[in-house]
Amino acid sequence: MFSAVILAGGIGARMRQDLPKQFLTVGGKPMILHTLERLEKLDEVSEVVVVCHPQYKALLWEHIAAYMLKKPYTVIDGGETRQESAHLGVQAAKCPNILLHEAARPFVTTEEFRALLAFDAENVTYGLDIPFTVLTRDGDTVDGILERSRLVNIQLPQKFSREKLLSAYARADEEGRRFTEDASLLFYYTKEPVKILEGRPTNIKITNAMDLKTGEAIYKEYIVGRV
Amino acid sequence: MGTCIITGAGSGIGRAAAVEIGKAGLFSHLVLIGRSAEKLAETRAQMETSSEVELCTYDLSDLSGIPELVKGIRERTGEIACLLNIAGYTDPQPLFTTSVENMEQTYRVNVFAPFLLIRECAKYMRTNADGAKILNVASTAGITPRPGWLSYASSKAAVISMSQTLTEELAEYGIRVYCISPGRCATALRRKLAPNEDQTKIMQPEEVGHIICELVSDSEKCLDGQNIIIRKKNL
Repeated sequence: MFSAVILAGGIGARMRQDLPKQFLTVGGKPMILHTLERLEKLDEVSEVVVVCHPQYKALLWEHIAAYMLKKPYTVIDGGETRQESAHLGVQAAKCPNILLHEAARPFVTTEEFRALLAFDAENVTYGLDIPFTVLTRDGDTVDGILERSRLVNIQLPQKFSREKLLSAYARADEEGRRFTEDASLLFYYTKEPVKILEGRPTNIKITNAMDLKTGEAIYKEYIVGRV
Repeated sequence: MGTCIITGAGSGIGRAAAVEIGKAGLFSHLVLIGRSAEKLAETRAQMETSSEVELCTYDLSDLSGIPELVKGIRERTGEIACLLNIAGYTDPQPLFTTSVENMEQTYRVNVFAPFLLIRECAKYMRTNADGAKILNVASTAGITPRPGWLSYASSKAAVISMSQTLTEELAEYGIRVYCISPGRCATALRRKLAPNEDQTKIMQPEEVGHIICELVSDSEKCLDGQNIIIRKKNL
């Protein structure tokens, strides 16, 4: 069985809205609810841990009640960084396996969750090929070329062994090292294989106001299919 | 097959829809809602159906009881597959004699009650394996100016808008929302709006009931989200 850990601790500073982005509506529904409603359909998920800014916990509980979500929920305070928030979420989870997702990616489908959970490996992430060239720089001068065919654009959701992820967090804390997502952290400290499932370009992370407009189009075309 | 809830089933278009849908055998249960037990019994007497039929006497202007009403139907009959919001109210008045009470009562029955029925039914419908359908009866009065019918016409405009919004909002759950706007139709409500009209020369409730039955059948998958205008040339 899996504990779903949902990262929703941001305050949405880049959106310049009154509410954090995970509570803004997409397709007429608060962004985080897209994910939470789909989790309801997964029998393999026995609990949901949401990492949330303390100021918005009451609002989240209101949404959980209004949408009649039935899984056991735990809502905990986030940390200072994304890594700390994820660490706290995984610590609060009870199952040996973690399904990790972020509320700002509302267009993950139930089928993608299912494919991830069913994939025969312990640590798995979604990822996309990089459709553009990435060079390295030294100041204002190019100093290297990355081989595009070996690069992957990491997408959530992901699944991990809780025990291994916790040990990686502990070592990162000891060393004061910060990672932008958890497949990198797990790989760096454990060298455990992290398998890659092919993601979809529509599973975008909503970061700014333009993403929100793009997201409405994705929702209509690819989630609901009404255009 | 599930349950179909039909409001306004004691007369007019609601009764005609109940008779047609019953005959077609589209649902395992039909719940007929109306204010008058006597009129609901008359509707039941006209139905030839293999579906289980429950008669439910309820005044939809009592909004507070609607969540319990829907919950009870769900518990008694199982999966709610269809909701038909057909009940309507009118007390046509020109602007200067339209009271707040008139507006409130018209909106209570024509807008607020359908809204609450939809909200409560959708809570259950969204987990149906085969989705669900909701059909709201608006009116051509909701799309063209109707001097003297302020409360009724504006309430029907609200029904059209509500239907279109909810078509988008509920699509992800597999819930299709339909909206029909009948023109002149020989009902008791129409008699209040046009007292001197010869109702034998205009569209009959059975004709609208037939179209409703077609729309809520499994084979119809293309007409949701539109305001479907139903008009007939006068005889």
